[in-house]
Amino acid sequence: MLRDITLGQYYQTESVIHRLDPRVKLGGTLLYIVSLFVFGHFLGYAVAALFLAMVIRLSHVPFRFMVKGMKAILFLMLITVGFNLFLTPGEELVSLWKLSVTREGVRTAVNMAVRLVMLVIGSSVMTLTTTPNNLTDGMERMLGPLRVFRVPVHEVAMMMSIALRFIPILMEETDKIMKAQTARGADFEGGNIVQRAKALVPLLVPLFISAFRRANDLAMAMEARCYRGGEGRTKMKPLVYEGRDKIAYLCILLYLAAGIGAGYLGRFLGI
Amino acid sequence: MGIVRTQDLTFEYIRRDEEGNVEGITTAVDKVSLDIAQGEFIAILGHNGSGKSTLAKHINAILNPTEGTVWVDGMDTSDEERVWDIRRTAGMVFQNPDNQIIGQVVEEDVGFGPENMGVPTKEIWERVEESLKAVGMYEYRKHSPNKLSGGQKQRVSIAGVLAMHPKCIVLDEPTAMLDPKGRKEVIRAIRALNQVEEITVILITHYMEEIIHADKVFVMDSGRIVMDGTPREIFSQVEKLKSLRLDVPQATLLGYELQRRGVRLPSGLLTAEELADALGQSLGAE
Repeated sequence: MLRDITLGQYYQTESVIHRLDPRVKLGGTLLYIVSLFVFGHFLGYAVAALFLAMVIRLSHVPFRFMVKGMKAILFLMLITVGFNLFLTPGEELVSLWKLSVTREGVRTAVNMAVRLVMLVIGSSVMTLTTTPNNLTDGMERMLGPLRVFRVPVHEVAMMMSIALRFIPILMEETDKIMKAQTARGADFEGGNIVQRAKALVPLLVPLFISAFRRANDLAMAMEARCYRGGEGRTKMKPLVYEGRDKIAYLCILLYLAAGIGAGYLGRFLGI
Repeated sequence: MGIVRTQDLTFEYIRRDEEGNVEGITTAVDKVSLDIAQGEFIAILGHNGSGKSTLAKHINAILNPTEGTVWVDGMDTSDEERVWDIRRTAGMVFQNPDNQIIGQVVEEDVGFGPENMGVPTKEIWERVEESLKAVGMYEYRKHSPNKLSGGQKQRVSIAGVLAMHPKCIVLDEPTAMLDPKGRKEVIRAIRALNQVEEITVILITHYMEEIIHADKVFVMDSGRIVMDGTPREIFSQVEKLKSLRLDVPQATLLGYELQRRGVRLPSGLLTAEELADALGQSLGAE
């Protein structure tokens, strides 16, 4: 059962988006998310949706994979929309018992829903087109300047990539321990929540012990291969901006300009 | 002086109780003196707890001797400033392949050592390519280590050490967790390193079949070296090996038992082919 969980959601194709520098994708996604909250006009959203559609088209990742991410936030979205719809004061449209739907409420609810949907799809595009490894690399480079403030950027990135490497191994191990315990009569599936949680204790103890043992072995193996932190280290795959990355940055800037322009245009025309 | 030399090497583990008081001292390695020449294929043999892994960790400066000295290529391993030079001279491969692969892609893992040493990017790629070719894993360079078999993973680990261009490789029971097929793959790769790349190999194992090709064998028991010599010399002493709780290869054992029952055979036969030839000659003579 545990083996079904896949980490990250990288979808392999040979698209331009996949080949972009992870820094472009990270920065672009961040700007995109900020832009969704800055635009605040439906013409701006139209530009954002158009931009997103173009990126998705370029990435060659099937659209249904992006929608998958939506399921996770469906509940959150329903609550947000519900609260905004019923609890915003203003001009009343419909009244149901003690709750009333207002004109302003409908507007904010729709705004929030559109923002959330595009936010989730936008960030899925990033995770679907970038390997976790590449993402870590990109983050390490982007946060590099923080080293001045003694933030251990390299160490954190190394920890993240080791965690990513060991998750499948620990999953397999959990599965093994679970089977061993089940064979001796342990019950992981029956009972209420409290009983189930209790049943996990004999699973977690051996798992933790083994994780610590692995960590110790790994540390020794890393030292044996001359690992001594980020200083003096060279990179096998250094991140270098190429032509397409510069074009991508330009596209993002153009998109921002278009979005802001659309907002002004909308207000100017009075829609 | 050889590439690895030890003089009266002694290492003690201090056991403590919960309050930190000394409960007892275990001497894992006891006054071991070795001299290993460049290019040799050395096997160190012993059952569990004989101190062979502890000895191996001294060669890579992971452990420092309680008493005595270890020199690697003339460098004293207790000299803190030379630790990194020692580790790039004497690489180390461990038992569990899962716990020593760092990269999420085969080629990235092999590049880890050279990255740490500050090798320029272009040269890293050259080293990764030649190391993976040397162990026959080049076609798998883009694969995830999780999808490889045990033997393949262990060959990747060996390539990872090889990419650091060591003069000597210490392998601490590299085949203990592998199936027979994986074991053969790894041993073949190790022999190729020794013969083609002329790297000194120190193989620690408790599988007898793996030491047949060694130039020299050291047998350890309770921290001491109790036997040393060529595989043939070692295997001709079947009784002594048995008393050390070590098995001998099946061909050797069969030869020994036949000899005891009066068949005229030379002692210390190592492989089935040798045994068959010797038997043929012996029967032909009668």
